[in-house]
Amino acid sequence: MAAVEKRRPAVAPAASFTDSGRPAVSRTAAPADSEEDFLRQVGVTEMLRAALLKVLEARPEEPIAFLAHYFENMGLRSPANGGAGEPPGQLLLQQQRLGRALWHLRLAHHSQRTAFNNNVSVAYECLSASGRKKKPGLDGRTYSELLKRICRDGEAPEEVVAPLLHKIQCRDHEAVPLDVFRAGMLTCFVLLEFVARASALYRLLEDPALAVADRRVGQAVLDTLEGALQASDGAPVPARYLEAGSRLGPDSLALAMDRALVARRPSSPMTREEFLEKAAALFIAKVKPVA
Amino acid sequence: MLSPERLALPDYEYLAQRHVLTYMEDAVCQLLENKEDISQYGIARFFTEYFNSVCQGTHILFREFSFIQATPHNRASFLRAFWRCFRTVGKNGDLLTMREYHCLLQLLCPDFPLELTQKAARIVLMDDAMDCLMSFSDFLFAFQIQFYYSEFLESVAAIYQDLLAGKNPNTVIVPTSSSGQHRQRPALGEASTLEGVEASLFYQCLENLCDRHKYSCPPPALVKEVLSNVQRLTFYGFLVALSKHHGINQALGALPDKGDLMHDPAMDEELERL
Repeated sequence: MAAVEKRRPAVAPAASFTDSGRPAVSRTAAPADSEEDFLRQVGVTEMLRAALLKVLEARPEEPIAFLAHYFENMGLRSPANGGAGEPPGQLLLQQQRLGRALWHLRLAHHSQRTAFNNNVSVAYECLSASGRKKKPGLDGRTYSELLKRICRDGEAPEEVVAPLLHKIQCRDHEAVPLDVFRAGMLTCFVLLEFVARASALYRLLEDPALAVADRRVGQAVLDTLEGALQASDGAPVPARYLEAGSRLGPDSLALAMDRALVARRPSSPMTREEFLEKAAALFIAKVKPVA
Repeated sequence: MLSPERLALPDYEYLAQRHVLTYMEDAVCQLLENKEDISQYGIARFFTEYFNSVCQGTHILFREFSFIQATPHNRASFLRAFWRCFRTVGKNGDLLTMREYHCLLQLLCPDFPLELTQKAARIVLMDDAMDCLMSFSDFLFAFQIQFYYSEFLESVAAIYQDLLAGKNPNTVIVPTSSSGQHRQRPALGEASTLEGVEASLFYQCLENLCDRHKYSCPPPALVKEVLSNVQRLTFYGFLVALSKHHGINQALGALPDKGDLMHDPAMDEELERL
């Protein structure tokens, strides 16, 4: 963007490389008021405030790239080129809606519960908006498609997530209420993270030369994990985590692995897919099916 | 995976780390300059293009110097742009003078200060012969150090002067980066018997400096490497060593290794299309 001849407010550089002390903007010719009025009139002030709040809520690793995507999506929401030309087909609208909903869902990590729930609500609204041939509300089929997309983008193998989808999917023409939607989204994202960590765990267990893990060790890990997940099912929350944590601690888990190796049973390989499927199954067993 | 520290920072610090406010303010200034051309819905598109160009590093082209040096990312982007635009200068083995390199810099930044180009040239030439010819790669890597680490180098110069004057490092008050302007440039051969300063002592002082300026220093471990190879060194000897160090270049991330300087397949492809 060439700025050579144009009059422009000079921005004094920061003394060191931090934004400490906002740079003073000195105006040369036009009064500051008219520019501020202009900005407010066209909605820039509000737009940037909303964008900044979103950045602070999501705390992305790359805020500048985040802002680029944010404004790109905003541009998609407004009528393209002032509404001239054919309105996009039903399928395209559906894809756009899914894309937008996905974008909202990914803004905050599921552990940032408040932010995540806000985004889930926005995504739900986005999918429930009525179209030309569409009644308002979220139908089971769109919900299922969204779940599949999330799992696919999360790089979890299909066999691993299929049992989950069976449990939480709704029938195609069923209406999906917000709380079911929210629970489903949360479960999905948590499962994806769980699978990712299980995958990392498997990488620790696998023999680099053979790219498989010893079945005895893999099974010992899975059994310990299962035990930890089932431990003190009825106990109050803090005790439950402590119990599970202690089962997975070195003295417990390492011992289990040791015992497996010295046992007389013959060794056979366990592939990554099998390990992930079994690990995911432990998680999915705890998921309540949709009524 | 998200890094937890980022989530725990107070809002202002998080924003400051990536200079988010700098870019937002600049985006608004740019918008105001072009406001006649923008419609209601064009604003979102304008901001999209602006932030995309920041990500790609093209946002610094033809901008004023105060903006180009405002953030580390801007400086790195400018270095990269300079390399990509003018790497062919080096292809034929051409040597240019400091003034000629300055003209090239001014093509990309009309108000680029001559002083900075001069300082960069001094690193290559090690004396005041400003008319000497320099190769593209020599100039480029010296320029990178001078431009990217300007403030750091000013502080280093002050420290060097103090050490030359025989001041005990324990009593030296490490100067802030703005005070470097009043110092004289260390003239070579000023020390009585030995030239330069003792490397390990020098490193101790620099280590303190790096601790304070976390974002605008070369990685301390690499500085240590540079200083561990010698017993004594001069100020410009130090700068030359910095500019030739592969690790520091890689850590900066703007320019390729010296051997790959002529190699830019993406740009070649684009030029083919023309």
